[in-house]
Amino acid sequence: MSFVLPHSHRPKSNKSCSKLLLAVIGKRFQMSRRPSGRRLSKPQPLAFSPFMRFAFASSTAKRKLPHPQDCQCSEEITFDEKLPNLSKKAKKEELSDSSDEEDSQGEDVQADFEFFDPKAKDFNGVKILLQHYLDDKEWDLTSFVDLILEQTTVGTVVKVADDEDESVFAVVTALNLGRYKDNKCFRQLKEFLVKICSEKSVASELQMLLEKKARDVGLLVSQRVMNLPPQLLPPLYDGTFDEVSWATEDEPTEELRKSFRFKTYLIVTKIYKLKNPKQRKPRRGEEEIEETVFLKPEDELFLELSSWSFTYPMRSQLVTSQEMKNYQLMGLVMAVEAKRIPEFRQMLNSLIDE
Amino acid sequence: MATRLQFENNCDIGVFSKLTNAYCLVAIGGSENFYSAFETELADAIPIVKTSIDGTRIIGRLCAGNKNGLLVPHTTNDQELQHLRNSLPDSVVVQRIEERLSALGNCIACNDHVALAHTDLDKETEEIIADVLGVEVFRQTIAGNILVGSYCALSNHGGIVHPHTSVEDLDELSTLLQVPLVAGTVNRGCEVIGAGMTVNDWTAFCGTDTTATELSVMDSIFKLREARPTSIVEEMRKSLIDTYA
Repeated sequence: MSFVLPHSHRPKSNKSCSKLLLAVIGKRFQMSRRPSGRRLSKPQPLAFSPFMRFAFASSTAKRKLPHPQDCQCSEEITFDEKLPNLSKKAKKEELSDSSDEEDSQGEDVQADFEFFDPKAKDFNGVKILLQHYLDDKEWDLTSFVDLILEQTTVGTVVKVADDEDESVFAVVTALNLGRYKDNKCFRQLKEFLVKICSEKSVASELQMLLEKKARDVGLLVSQRVMNLPPQLLPPLYDGTFDEVSWATEDEPTEELRKSFRFKTYLIVTKIYKLKNPKQRKPRRGEEEIEETVFLKPEDELFLELSSWSFTYPMRSQLVTSQEMKNYQLMGLVMAVEAKRIPEFRQMLNSLIDE
Repeated sequence: MATRLQFENNCDIGVFSKLTNAYCLVAIGGSENFYSAFETELADAIPIVKTSIDGTRIIGRLCAGNKNGLLVPHTTNDQELQHLRNSLPDSVVVQRIEERLSALGNCIACNDHVALAHTDLDKETEEIIADVLGVEVFRQTIAGNILVGSYCALSNHGGIVHPHTSVEDLDELSTLLQVPLVAGTVNRGCEVIGAGMTVNDWTAFCGTDTTATELSVMDSIFKLREARPTSIVEEMRKSLIDTYA
């Protein structure tokens, strides 16, 4: 959807090439120890949207993780010694890379991100993020978002600290297909997936996951704004998978506990594929043209670990830049076995540390 | 009674349509459900014109108008301008204006008598608004926001403004606009009312997420329950200075 609201709750930017993204973000989000007493004064441009407003605020980037109480779990979480004492609501993690911040035209983006359990008032923000979850199909997105927000035991919403608008920057959750199979939105979701699956070999596997094995399948929903720093991904995913395992022990009823013992995760996401793969041969000196561009770096890892996957052409187009003109937006559906998740977590940590 | 509908899973009706007492503009590319909802309510009363502005579908936020005229930004194509001039009634003056702030729907909130304008609009633009739309123009902010067109939905009977508008501001605006105002939300708590809904004297359209409470506030402030098209002609404009807290 390419509409622009004045005070957009959807601070998407135009950059969609994930490799470029990582390089730029890596540069912009240099973590540095904040010298006490000195505040960088930058010219404040006229910025309307909440994202732009915080983008020009100056503070070091910190990540706060939800306190165990919020996660409704009874386990103690151990962190490495970098962390100071636990506060009531949040933990602070100070990242102290001592590399210098390059101040390119005063455009450094510094932000504090906080992870929260989903709450009812996040409705509008989460709905905007999931607008194109099923391409341009008209379906009961409202109830789908409601289900995500009701499931507070597993699910994380990422917001910026001290943001009075409380805009949602990312949402990650895992929904059990069997638990919600009677909801209209899930029926529509299944119909959509079955319809767009053009590869016969995969279609039967998909059907099985959606119908017979639905009770053991978790729909991993992960959507975020495009320029979100990748350093957030390991804690975000670690948090989510940890919540799933805590839920298998902490949920009040046996049925609910069972519902979180996922054997497979189903992921619906988007990628960019080269329109004419054979015609693009890299010339001397030119960068190698990638056939597939992953909007989210973890998708590449998931695809590697997946049992099966298929792509389908999407009708709606995201706002793209010039370098993406040879690429077409495709939807990607894949199934990842739950036992491969620890491998994924390791791979993600090493990918982001690079 | 306000109608609830969606444009391609999107509840922001005020972005993809523009409703006045003399015409209705809708964006191209929506499903048939979208158009049929408008046609059911408006069919014989006013023309419904499908259009784009600068090739985009966000027409509701780019243009501003009332029964006297329609203002479109400088980014509008010649073909689009011609199409609008041909399709709209002759009494409606379509004017393309050169203004740096091109999202006119976000900068201007108007009914048939008064208009609220963004504080940074050019002087010439203000004069054109007064001229073409036949309104009195007031430069105002709503709850500290300069984008008055986004945070307010206005008709000749009443208006809804940003929920954080203070009581003093509500009084002041109400006096200027000469209509009752209420601070409220649309589409389940969304504060951007101008983008979430569109309204004229006898009907309103809002997103499917709008709650029953929000709907009843709309019906009462815009006086939609008893209204019919002929009411505009028969009813005198009331100079009530009335606020709903």
